[in-house]
Amino acid sequence: MKKNIAVIFGGQSVEHDVSIITAHIPIIQSLLASGQFNVQPIYISKDGSWYSDQAMNNLNFFKQTNFIGANGICPKQKKIQILFDQGLKLVWPGFRPKVVKIDVVFPAMHGTFGEDGSLMGLLRMANVPFIGCDLFASTIAMDKVLTKQILSKENIPVVPYIWFTKFDWETNKNTLKEKALKLKWPVFIKPVHLGSSIAITKVKQQSDLENMIEVALHYDDKILIEESIENLIEVTLPIIGNDILQTGEIERPLNKTEFFNFNDKYLSGGKKYGGMKNRYSEIPANIKNELAEQVKSLGLKSYRVLGCSGISRVDFLINNDSQNVFVNEINTLPGSLYCHNWRKAGISNVELVVKLVALAEERFKARQKITYIFDSDVLNFTTIQVHEHNA
Amino acid sequence: MKKWLSYHPRYIRSLVYMLQASEYNICDYLNWYGRVKNFNKVECRKHLIKTPKAILIFIIAWTILLSLYSFAISLFWLKLGLIKYIFFAGILLIAPYFLAYVIIAPIILIRIFIQWPIEFVIIKCAQKKLKKHKAIKIAIAGSFGKTTMREILKTILEKNKKVATPLHNHNTPLGISRFIKILKGDEEVLIFELGEYYPGDVKKLCDLTQPNIGIITGINEAHLKKFKSLDKTIKIIFELSDWLKKNPIYVNGENNLARNNVLNDYIIYNRKGIEKWKVENPQTNLKGTSFVISKNGQDYKIKTNLLGLHQIGPLMVAIDIAIKLGISIDQIKEGIKNIKPVDHRLEPKINNAGVITLDDSYNGNPDGVKVVIEFLASLHNYRRFYVTPGLVEMGSKIKEIHKAIGIQLAKTEIEKIILIKNSVTPFIAEGLKDANYNGEIIWFNDALTAFDALPYLTVKNDVVLLQNDWPDQYV
Repeated sequence: MKKNIAVIFGGQSVEHDVSIITAHIPIIQSLLASGQFNVQPIYISKDGSWYSDQAMNNLNFFKQTNFIGANGICPKQKKIQILFDQGLKLVWPGFRPKVVKIDVVFPAMHGTFGEDGSLMGLLRMANVPFIGCDLFASTIAMDKVLTKQILSKENIPVVPYIWFTKFDWETNKNTLKEKALKLKWPVFIKPVHLGSSIAITKVKQQSDLENMIEVALHYDDKILIEESIENLIEVTLPIIGNDILQTGEIERPLNKTEFFNFNDKYLSGGKKYGGMKNRYSEIPANIKNELAEQVKSLGLKSYRVLGCSGISRVDFLINNDSQNVFVNEINTLPGSLYCHNWRKAGISNVELVVKLVALAEERFKARQKITYIFDSDVLNFTTIQVHEHNA
Repeated sequence: MKKWLSYHPRYIRSLVYMLQASEYNICDYLNWYGRVKNFNKVECRKHLIKTPKAILIFIIAWTILLSLYSFAISLFWLKLGLIKYIFFAGILLIAPYFLAYVIIAPIILIRIFIQWPIEFVIIKCAQKKLKKHKAIKIAIAGSFGKTTMREILKTILEKNKKVATPLHNHNTPLGISRFIKILKGDEEVLIFELGEYYPGDVKKLCDLTQPNIGIITGINEAHLKKFKSLDKTIKIIFELSDWLKKNPIYVNGENNLARNNVLNDYIIYNRKGIEKWKVENPQTNLKGTSFVISKNGQDYKIKTNLLGLHQIGPLMVAIDIAIKLGISIDQIKEGIKNIKPVDHRLEPKINNAGVITLDDSYNGNPDGVKVVIEFLASLHNYRRFYVTPGLVEMGSKIKEIHKAIGIQLAKTEIEKIILIKNSVTPFIAEGLKDANYNGEIIWFNDALTAFDALPYLTVKNDVVLLQNDWPDQYV
């Protein structure tokens, strides 16, 4: 008996399109190739509508120019509804509504409302197993500042930084500029909640600072300014597991631009094997053994400190002069699951998704043993109090 | 009911395609017709090629169908009462079924009155031309391994001789005759594969090709469904040795059925050697095969790109014939180096992801399967995938042969077995179960889905063996 697995992608996020790629390459294709699942694609449009149709299992559906829009294919379809009824059910409304019970959910939404924990909260409420990090890890990892604060509390090295909100900037611009100038320049300005390197800029001249902060604040209301490491080795390490962890290969992006941006990650050189083709990265990274050991050790520690489960990817910055390793950020839904990296580590796409489903079910099973309810007579006590008060 | 509902305008195209894919063999076509459940889905692996013959049948079929419908409609003008409605409905319902059988008639008529007379003339002319040709003629017969044998011989002999062979797998009287027609007359060696489709075929082809040397590559259950018994197959294949009389005939000693039928003067070959040539230190891996041949105290190291120790036997035949034709050992060694794996016969390919595919999709006989699994088993330090829809035309031995494949796969501990759902693969699964297979069995509904899934199932350095492929008519 095949399991019904819902892959949720798209969403109201700047990474909407990247999410469609991740959902299909490799998630849906690998789930179908495994022959173990009935895949129910769930596409959330940019206006937040939920659609599901078997045709959406094919990436080509989303390459049609009219798949969305006023007279598009999706808007002509019935929007689906979700039902929390001893698990998660999808409902296609109508005279005879079609209902499909979902056994497992595979969230494939990057960024806001998906990767930030919103979707995980919904799925926790629905009491359905889901792949990847749970609500808490997702929420923390989504906030680059919160991640750095937690990691540094656990003595995991991070690059020096400052942070502030839009309100802080508008009310205290000069003080914040002074703080920023105290950092070692050049610096990076990053919106705190966005992924895929969107709206990240490197500022070399102080005269550009204000302008670039304004740009970042256009995308987020909380931003981070951190020192740039000039003689930099950037590496990344994908990890899977709940309690017992398994690392992929240490990968070094071979930057085309000054830093690894959206184009390098997803658009350069075709998308056949996921966002990144091998020539844009070195797998395994050609770094010294001591550095590789440090990367793996810090990666595993960071994964645990943030409470990650299922899959995540830890990004590192290595100062080639000082040989210091810094954890940069944690990505709880690596683009295309970093399947190209796992393949190098000897794990095929099918093995990866099947393993992730098993991890999701394992975590769900463990959660079922936790008591979330408590019998109390608080309500009766309150009634007596109210009676007494009225009397 | 579902079958009837799939009768639609495309139905006629499907019938013509089925005839064409069955090579206009009426029995194969009718068997296929009986098995089809949905006529919308017969063109899966290939599509109808618009040859003049196919177009002619297509037009005839439409004419017949429209005539039937016109007749049915014309009934309304007759004063037949209720019966005309019954006839009308009857014709409407039966017409597609009737058509499937009626279109055979023009094929038989074309065959009797056009095709056969033309073929007869072509064959007679070719026979006459070849009688005058002074080349040494080598004929290869057998249930399997003919094309590989032909390619090995050709590549080695052409180092020193002018060699010609029919293109592709042209092994029928007509195919060979067309090849003879284009010969220039200066060829020194001609190599022919003899197809054995029906009893008497090998003898007929011998009459045409008049071989001086014969090679029997082996006999097994391939085409057993057609020949009904292995005894009959043996008789047909050995028509070659009957024809050759005192001329040299090489027989594959690794094949029991061939070996058990040899006479004293036949030359036996196998991976251990041939006549006084001995093979030593044979080794094989994904890069090729190497071995040492020795005779009268002299050793020669042989290296080839061909994969598997089972290739040594045919190589020894070619070496022996080449030496007898006066080709030097150095030239022979050079020739062997040039041999490339025949298309789709244990042909190694490596893709961008570093996955090694061994394309053996044209190998669909039990002996071939056995030696290829042996080769796969010899590849250590790789994760191995074996992908197969099973074998066709195994007749009454269908269960026995497929169970044996399953048992062999289990014993050799191939890590992943991918089976295509059909009538024969459950027997492979049964064999795997009986032999307590510990690896993973993955099922797919059809081969194309399996091929699509393979990139997602494999990683760098995995070895994927694609064993046999079923064209549409067997699905």
